[in-house]
Amino acid sequence: MSTTKLFLRGVADMRRFPLPQLCTLLTVCMVALLAGTGLLILHNVQTEVLRTQAQARFQIYWKVGADLTAVEAQWADLKRAPGIAEVSTFTPRAALSELMRGLAPRTSGGALTGAEGNASSGEDFSWLEGDNPLPATALVSFNIPPDEQPEPWMGRMYARLKGLDGVEQVTYNPTQLTLATGWIALVQKAAWPALGFFALVVGLVVGNTLKLMMLARKDEVEILSLVGARPWFIRAPLFANGVVQGLCGSLLSLVCLKFLQSWLRSVLDVPPLFLKVEFLPLWQSLALVLATTCVAGLASLIAARK
Amino acid sequence: MVHLEHVNLTLGGAQALKDVTLHVERGEFVFLTGPSGAGKTTLLRVLYGDLKPKSGAADVAGVDLMRLRGVQLPELRRKVAVVFQDFKVLPERTVFENIAIALEVRGVSSVSIDRRVRAVIRALDLEERSYAPCRELSGGEQQRVAIARSMVVNPELILADEPTGNLDSDLSRHLIELFKQFNTYGTTIIMATHNREVLSWAPEARQVHLVRGEIKPPPPGSPGSVLDTKPIIGGSL
Repeated sequence: MSTTKLFLRGVADMRRFPLPQLCTLLTVCMVALLAGTGLLILHNVQTEVLRTQAQARFQIYWKVGADLTAVEAQWADLKRAPGIAEVSTFTPRAALSELMRGLAPRTSGGALTGAEGNASSGEDFSWLEGDNPLPATALVSFNIPPDEQPEPWMGRMYARLKGLDGVEQVTYNPTQLTLATGWIALVQKAAWPALGFFALVVGLVVGNTLKLMMLARKDEVEILSLVGARPWFIRAPLFANGVVQGLCGSLLSLVCLKFLQSWLRSVLDVPPLFLKVEFLPLWQSLALVLATTCVAGLASLIAARK
Repeated sequence: MVHLEHVNLTLGGAQALKDVTLHVERGEFVFLTGPSGAGKTTLLRVLYGDLKPKSGAADVAGVDLMRLRGVQLPELRRKVAVVFQDFKVLPERTVFENIAIALEVRGVSSVSIDRRVRAVIRALDLEERSYAPCRELSGGEQQRVAIARSMVVNPELILADEPTGNLDSDLSRHLIELFKQFNTYGTTIIMATHNREVLSWAPEARQVHLVRGEIKPPPPGSPGSVLDTKPIIGGSL
């Protein structure tokens, strides 16, 4: 009997043991889901850190009542500055509107509604427009040049921004950059050992589960051996069974992981977190499926051997 | 066919077979008798390569059991068919599939499998149950399936371990007749039993009596007694 036929027989025979097969499938799926969740967390943290780690962010406040035309000219210069990544600017009027909009969800939540009668539009500060106390501001992000040390570079940039005409105050957080750099170093050092440990756990759990499932087919293996079946004749269908379990279990885990990611996204992509949880990249999804399938196939071979 | 010389075997610290010397020629029908725990099943397990003797010399169907390695086991098992008291059929598979499996492992073509399985099903009067799962069969029918599985490959030697143990008297007799018929075609049969009635149905068969792992003379007057009929060829008795 050809190997292909033996594989097909192994797959067809799965229907003979529905309950052990179902239990094994669920276990493989759960373990793969656990591993996938770990990957998902690692991937999203890494993405978030990478997004911010090489950037320095400054909040610039101009003096209240500064000449807006001059300020806008400075903004135009900033947008053309070398290494600029992102510039968000707010005129005093825009800042006031932003403030009103920012307060809207809180007031519409019910706690501050009622007497003011403007629950749907938030606090009304339009009476301040004539004498707006808010300054013009800009949120500026720079990509730190690769050949520069972050902190001295940020110090120099801080001094330069602080020296702009009409600027009252410049804030930045060097700790954020230090934390990000530290996190990247930690991830680079710990990621592979952690993933290796995870793979070991997945391998052991999936392997032992499959070995337990093989107990359901112990009689079959014994009878095949008694009638003179060669080892490959016995092992090939069991191997196929393990591979199919690994493949189906890991694919099912990806579906579950997609639901989990959608749910996390809806939960975390709200103020003040605004965390956009992304799904695993294609190569990581494929790696998860491939690794689980290989482990399952290997475990079934070992189980059949014993 | 079977040549054992001074075979010893220890299981769990106890001497399971003690200095067993037994020679069975091609085409012989031999009963292994003795009380429970005498070592009948152990001796059969040695003969189909499930247990390896500690010492002595053992040759079955041209295979040296003392030098038998795992990869050679299928070769031995293709020459030696085994029938058990508990049938050892696959309950979820049909009668046809249970019998065909013995041919499939040998790489026989599906056309030939179909022809040979149908022939043996007919011979054992299982035609009406061909496509029934074995779990739906009676004990007698399941044992016939097990025998059909051993017959379909035309083995050189059939080892039967208390094959009538779970059957009533009529079915047991029918079964022995099947084995006798098969023996007339030249297949060597070694059957373990402690049922004296079974011995009486095949009085021409040789009897080898085991007591505590040793071959002893069978009780006087028992059917097929080696003392009453023919001597063991080259045996220690």
